[in-house]
Amino acid sequence: MATVASTARPGRPGAAWAPQAAIARRVLRDGRVRTLAFAYLFAAVAYIQPVSYRHTYPTTADRLAFAHAFGANKAVVLFYGKAYDLLSVGGYSAWRVGGLLSVFSAVFGLLAAVRAMRADEDAGRTELVLAGILGRRAVFVVSLAAIGTAAALLWVALLAGSVAAGLSLGGSAYLALAVVSMVPVFVGVGAVTSQLAPTRRMALELGGAVIALSFLLRVIADTSNGAGWLRWVTPLGWAEELRPFTGARPAFLALAAAASLVLLVAAGRVAMTRDIGAGVLAAKDTAPPRLALLSSPTRQALRSERTSLLVWLASIGLFAVVVGVISNSISSAGISRQLDQELAKLGAGSVLTPRGYLSFSFLFFVVATSLFCCSQVAAAWHEEADERLETLLALPVSRRGWLTGRLVLAVIAATVISLVAGLLAWAGAVSQGIDISPLTMIGAGANCMPVSLLFLGIAALAYGAIPRASAGIAYGFVAVAFLWQLFGALLGAPRWLVDVTPFAHLGLVPAQAFDPVGAAAMVAIGLLACAGSLWLFSRRDLIGA
Amino acid sequence: MRRPGSGDSATVRRMAAIRANGLSKRYGETLALDSLHLEVAEGEVYGYLGPNGAGKTTTIRLLLGLHRPTGGSATLFGVDCWRNTVEAHRRVAYVAGEPFLWPSMTAEETLEFLARLHGGTDRAYRRLLVDRFALEPSKKVRALSKGNRQKVQLIAALATRADLLLLDEPTSGLDPLMEMAFRMCIAEAKERGQSVFLSSHILSEVEAVCDRVGILRSGRLVDEGSLEQLRHLGAQTVEVTFAGPVPELGDLPGVTAMPTGPSGLRLEVTGAIAPLLAALADKPVASLISREPSLEEIFLHHYDHGDGRLDS
Repeated sequence: MATVASTARPGRPGAAWAPQAAIARRVLRDGRVRTLAFAYLFAAVAYIQPVSYRHTYPTTADRLAFAHAFGANKAVVLFYGKAYDLLSVGGYSAWRVGGLLSVFSAVFGLLAAVRAMRADEDAGRTELVLAGILGRRAVFVVSLAAIGTAAALLWVALLAGSVAAGLSLGGSAYLALAVVSMVPVFVGVGAVTSQLAPTRRMALELGGAVIALSFLLRVIADTSNGAGWLRWVTPLGWAEELRPFTGARPAFLALAAAASLVLLVAAGRVAMTRDIGAGVLAAKDTAPPRLALLSSPTRQALRSERTSLLVWLASIGLFAVVVGVISNSISSAGISRQLDQELAKLGAGSVLTPRGYLSFSFLFFVVATSLFCCSQVAAAWHEEADERLETLLALPVSRRGWLTGRLVLAVIAATVISLVAGLLAWAGAVSQGIDISPLTMIGAGANCMPVSLLFLGIAALAYGAIPRASAGIAYGFVAVAFLWQLFGALLGAPRWLVDVTPFAHLGLVPAQAFDPVGAAAMVAIGLLACAGSLWLFSRRDLIGA
Repeated sequence: MRRPGSGDSATVRRMAAIRANGLSKRYGETLALDSLHLEVAEGEVYGYLGPNGAGKTTTIRLLLGLHRPTGGSATLFGVDCWRNTVEAHRRVAYVAGEPFLWPSMTAEETLEFLARLHGGTDRAYRRLLVDRFALEPSKKVRALSKGNRQKVQLIAALATRADLLLLDEPTSGLDPLMEMAFRMCIAEAKERGQSVFLSSHILSEVEAVCDRVGILRSGRLVDEGSLEQLRHLGAQTVEVTFAGPVPELGDLPGVTAMPTGPSGLRLEVTGAIAPLLAALADKPVASLISREPSLEEIFLHHYDHGDGRLDS
């Protein structure tokens, strides 16, 4: 504080802002890897989409056929949102880039807000800051300004990628604005959940549930007849309604701005008055003892992860029901050559039957269960980072036993989630009178496991070798592999290079044939990686965060 | 000074609670622990002293097999700390310097969890400890203060009645009343024949409960022995007042002198005091006070650079 006092002397204009600048630098530094990763992703996706569209559909006839087949295709709309114009490069890019990256923007906003407004407090660092000469209001506003700077960088990245791919400057700027407009909205959501929840984890889970709900509402709005008005209800729908390159409706920006403002003001008001370290949803301080699930570290892990497990199960299960229900209303348009091509590249068979559509949407569940596996390894790392693992391993508990238990728990939970997704997708489909056997759909669920096991192995290996970076590496692998699966072929990469991603070896049952060799190979690699992680973990020092 | 570790016990190979043989640990450029030789006998209460960053926690992490030694080895009751970790832990209970526990579990649930993982816990003694330390068992860990979380760890460790207690600054965050309760528990443990390895920088605590003390500096054990031995071998302070101006004493090995006034002198004596007494014999000594050094002075003696700057 001595330096602050001396630099804050009058007569040195600007120096009075030194403490604010220090906080802003801290927030930016905390998120620099994340910000750069997202900026890179935004630029890459914005560049790839227009280029690959021109490459794949060079003539108007190609584009007409593509638009005809895709205009109402629920399977693709599920991922990318509603398409308004598939005949122009701009319209196609707005659909693909906007549909995908608006979700990423939402995730970015949530992560940044919770990091700045709850994670530090959870770790006890905020007290230190507020004991200095800055008030709560200043810290709150400065944190927001720092996040705003990061968001501006994302906007520039998207704009640059889009312009580099040959789209107009004005249109690209507006598209980038539409996508990045989700950042302040979900910063607002994160700011509010950070006030509600007493812990970082709970703030992220609440915010994650809001993103999942927004996505679900967008899916229903885009895929169900007569539900288009739901786009007014979900922020991700506003991003669609901004309609870059296809008759822009900038009025929806006002909706996003208003929502951000309301959320941030509400969060700010609570932040000014509540006790530091506490949340509005006050956790109970006392409880009668519950002595179940205490007899081994694995059982206790299940106990402390149970809320998180239920959130994953509920979100994925809900999504499975929706997929099942809308599988009946798939497009009746005939299969064109382009559609076949496009879908082959996405890794699915015909999506024009309910059965094909259900199979295709399990690509989503494979990604979800893979991410779940990564989250379980991240939870194991947090146990070590917070030095609770030291307490455990000072007892007669073996390292291999502990990590094996965590991995087995992850596999069992991922299996349960996969099978429940299959069963609920079946239930949703049957409710619409579709004739499909429950065993078939449970099989589709079980088919998520080989890829999930593979990513669990990669995550575990990263944890054994470089624990501090393990979560980033694990999530990064899933994201890169999936994006490569989506874009690799469209970019004209050779087949063998596309086949590097595990998703290429996934037979999406029941529409495609189960790929026993691919599945066995992925399981084998996953188990081998897990074994490697046990070996590495039992040889290294335990480290703190 | 004796070489630490080259103890009298080297002749008889009895089972030691802790035995470290040239134990070293390097983190990148930093040598955190430099060839530690250490032996703690069964039933002994050993005080491990050193300032922050001297390598106390590193030693305990190596003894628990949480970190891997760069060189040397260590055993607990004859079981290798790194190669046979789980086996080594069966007779050990540990209290970490920082009480990191599971925030959503209550104190009672935590005690039960740790007890089940350890195996043998004296539940009657645990109830007594909960009373003695005035712990509220139904409170969740996240709602407990640091001192109260420390109590949870301490109670869990003490209640195991383990043959060896490894305590890493166990009383940080405890108030003076609880500190007294802690000393009572260590006395009880000693009475039952348990061994205690107490890492600390609270000298009065070590002075009160420990049989033997080791002093660590920059990863090296610089002194070791019973308090009596350390007092004997450490610097003694002799204050002399002369009838008249301070006379010339000549060059005395192991003696540093500092004037305290026109006719006063404070002398720090390391080693034998006889040469000094001989030099003083024919001088006009008005008064002479000699006192044994406190543990604090022994400690400072090892850390003071002579210019008032302390270092680890």
